[in-house]
Amino acid sequence: MSIKDDLMLAVVELEEQKSYSLVKKLLDESTNPQEIIEILRKGVEVIGEKFNKKEYFLTELVMAGEIFQQSAKILEPALKQEAQSDKQAAAVVVGTVKGDVHDIGKNIFVTLLQSAGFDVYDLGVDVPPEEFVEKVKETNAVVVAYSGLLTIALETMQETTEALKSEGLRDKVKIIIGGLPVDEMWMKKAGADAFTDNAFEGVNIITKWVKEG
Amino acid sequence: MGEGGIKMKDIMEEPMTSVERVLTAIDLKEPDRVPVWPLIDFLPVYYTDVTAQEMIEDPDKSQEANEWIYHKLGGYDIAMAGGGMYMQYVNPFPDFFSVFYLDWRLPGRMLDKNASPQLFEQSLTDPFMTENDYDRIIEEGLLWLANFRRASMKDMRKLGKIGEKVKENTVKWWTEFQVPTFNDGAAIPPFDLLSVFRGSTNFMKDIYRYPDKIKEVSDFLIDNLILMGEYGISMSGGKTILVGAARASADFISIKHFEELFWPYFKKMVSRYVNDGFIVQLHMDTNWTDRLHYLRELPKGKIYMHMDERTDIFKAKEILGDHMCIQGNLKPSLFTLGTPAMVEKQTKEIIDKCAEGGGLFVGSEIPDNAKLENVKTMIDTCKTYGKYRK
Repeated sequence: MSIKDDLMLAVVELEEQKSYSLVKKLLDESTNPQEIIEILRKGVEVIGEKFNKKEYFLTELVMAGEIFQQSAKILEPALKQEAQSDKQAAAVVVGTVKGDVHDIGKNIFVTLLQSAGFDVYDLGVDVPPEEFVEKVKETNAVVVAYSGLLTIALETMQETTEALKSEGLRDKVKIIIGGLPVDEMWMKKAGADAFTDNAFEGVNIITKWVKEG
Repeated sequence: MGEGGIKMKDIMEEPMTSVERVLTAIDLKEPDRVPVWPLIDFLPVYYTDVTAQEMIEDPDKSQEANEWIYHKLGGYDIAMAGGGMYMQYVNPFPDFFSVFYLDWRLPGRMLDKNASPQLFEQSLTDPFMTENDYDRIIEEGLLWLANFRRASMKDMRKLGKIGEKVKENTVKWWTEFQVPTFNDGAAIPPFDLLSVFRGSTNFMKDIYRYPDKIKEVSDFLIDNLILMGEYGISMSGGKTILVGAARASADFISIKHFEELFWPYFKKMVSRYVNDGFIVQLHMDTNWTDRLHYLRELPKGKIYMHMDERTDIFKAKEILGDHMCIQGNLKPSLFTLGTPAMVEKQTKEIIDKCAEGGGLFVGSEIPDNAKLENVKTMIDTCKTYGKYRK
């Protein structure tokens, strides 16, 4: 097995320290940092498959996100030197809506979105509608993701969609809602285009939207 | 409120009292009908002038509000003693609801007087305990984690006085109205407590980085956490203790981590409460379906378990039906967004598939802005369709 295979395996097996030292080793051997990022992304993808098959759980997703982010930090200086001429990534605005402060799922979703290569704007928790609106204007985001756990969050999801509408932004963005309780009933009421209680599924839905343009 | 308190005829119309009905169901036998338990916290705030702050801090007003909602809905089988929530939030011991230990924002303090309490986890940036504090807990216990800014010594001094009121209200429900109360005391296993102290995202990383430390601290904490729960019941004078767990389910951790870091402690805690003569109410939020069979290791016929809609109640009936009383499957948002017809349909489905042989409550956590007609439909369906025909 090559070091690249080793890295992929270490990521999938969530061997944190081993992953970091392999990333460094590959860097030392002058591997293109973009290529290392790709290996990490593949690893996270495999973890997502294991999650969907219930071999892995949320804890494993959190660790996967941590390994990806720490590795990206190690790679940052090298990536900057590469002065990447990458095409502009699609912007996604994410936040837990006003009146709700739950952020476990939202944080995991943000990490997975980042590892999938999106340009992510995380507004945090208890985010009022006007903040979503402002961020969408500023970033030309194509997707807005509301998170919420409390029933009360549904009302502010509705308000947030209304705010996007009244600013003429609703047709420019797709809206997805996420959280343990969300379902079709929530989606309709919130005026969203999709819903999910699974962070990976959420990323897949957004990826599909962006591909379809 | 205007409509007065509970009329005896609300209670006396049926063959069994709620106390008899609930105890029969826990004992895994068939009562006269399926007991119904809407878990109501702040619903009266939405419909009357009582404030959320009063629901917590004024035992008389909250008892009046709890009686009002009981009457308004035509009676149900498990109620909450007025003032009980004060004991829960102003708890001097480290519990999930204690404002001294966790950043609960309470109505009238850091929130509007009519807002429901919210827990701030500060999960990533500023956790209550750092990864280095596992050793500190073993050396110093938990008291250093207490914070007296969200509530004061004055609040704590009121505990005794309010405790007396809660006792009166608890007795009133059990003896005068013949309705059991829930949540007389509360406890959580070390796993869930450490998870809130660390913030759940940090804690999930700790599970990978320091599993032995988590075990060591859990071994150190378990007996004390059990005793704290028992102290809580002695304060309120009730009979039921709530043991809550939400973070060791299939929504969070693997079976391997469940077996190592959660189950032994949870089992010890619940078994001890049963052995000491209390009725244990398990409050199991999130998805436990793939680990329900472990619950067969708990004492039989002494426990009632609330599950939310993420756990498959029909599987639970199959696996635990002859072992413990169960309740679940109704989604809280159904009571806000749904219609009476939807509630009736889902209630009937649960009764059809799970009522046989007893050991079933029907119920759900009721959102603070639920429609009354939806809650009443669940209750009425249990009273009519839920009758056991012998």
